[in-house]
Amino acid sequence: MLEVYIWFYAGCTLVIVGSLATVIGPGVKDPLVRTLNTEIPAVGLSLIFLTYNHTIALLTFIAATSIITLILLRTIVRLEEMGAEL
Amino acid sequence: MILVPDVVSPVVVAIYAPAVFVGIIVALIGLFGISIEKNDLQVLILTDIVGVAMLIIVAAVGTDLAESLVLPGLVVELAEILAICEILMSREMRKTGKSVSLIPTPLNFDMEVLQTSPVFIAVILVIYGAFLSGFTGGAIAGGGILFYVMSLTVRGLPSDLWEGIAGASGIAWCLWLTGFLVLFVFPNYWLLGLMLAAFGVFIKVAFKAGLIGVMNREEFRKE
Repeated sequence: MLEVYIWFYAGCTLVIVGSLATVIGPGVKDPLVRTLNTEIPAVGLSLIFLTYNHTIALLTFIAATSIITLILLRTIVRLEEMGAEL
Repeated sequence: MILVPDVVSPVVVAIYAPAVFVGIIVALIGLFGISIEKNDLQVLILTDIVGVAMLIIVAAVGTDLAESLVLPGLVVELAEILAICEILMSREMRKTGKSVSLIPTPLNFDMEVLQTSPVFIAVILVIYGAFLSGFTGGAIAGGGILFYVMSLTVRGLPSDLWEGIAGASGIAWCLWLTGFLVLFVFPNYWLLGLMLAAFGVFIKVAFKAGLIGVMNREEFRKE
């Protein structure tokens, strides 16, 4: 039987590593790469929610993250179509 | 000394300090990234990280209170990102003079199911949603109304009707608030408060989803 703490500390590690990757990771000058990198802390936060049994919060978080990613990706593409420097 | 009520489980108490610590570290990383970044869009993406840190600290409380605080935080973050994206794009549109539409291809719902059986499916969904009540039921009934509005056979509903529905949605929200107030002020009438809250939020969510369908019809179907 795996302990509860494994999931919590795995989530914490993913959140810290993912936020470092988003801030100073390779290739983050491209906003597309940076947006995709924000998914790593999102997965870590999902594990933390799972540890605490926050089911509704977890469901809403998954839905909100996917909508936010959609909005950001569409914004990046629209700005690039308009020829803005990113 | 930290005062902890007995109802909080020892697991949650044991990981409270590391969770808050991780939240603060992540917030510092995110704010550092924002401080060295110049581009507005990049800063907007980095605010996601700070939002994650905020959610970790809220979740560390570990009770139902945390869960009920996470939901509005998520909704506010979503609305904020949507608004700032719009602002960035309208600024860029004004600068370059070019305009790019929201949807890359014109939407054309030419599906047979929208012509043959919209009313039946809408009625089933609304009835099932009313049976469920609460947030889930509101979402399902709202899906039914959305389907009804998007369907091709139903045309020419007066716009007054939709404005009236928006007003009813506001009144239902007041019902929801009253239900919560009853729960706190008169705990003996908890069943009344529960029912008020459940059906208030049901009507509100259902009509909000229906309004998305009205917007969809007015905005996107410009052929």
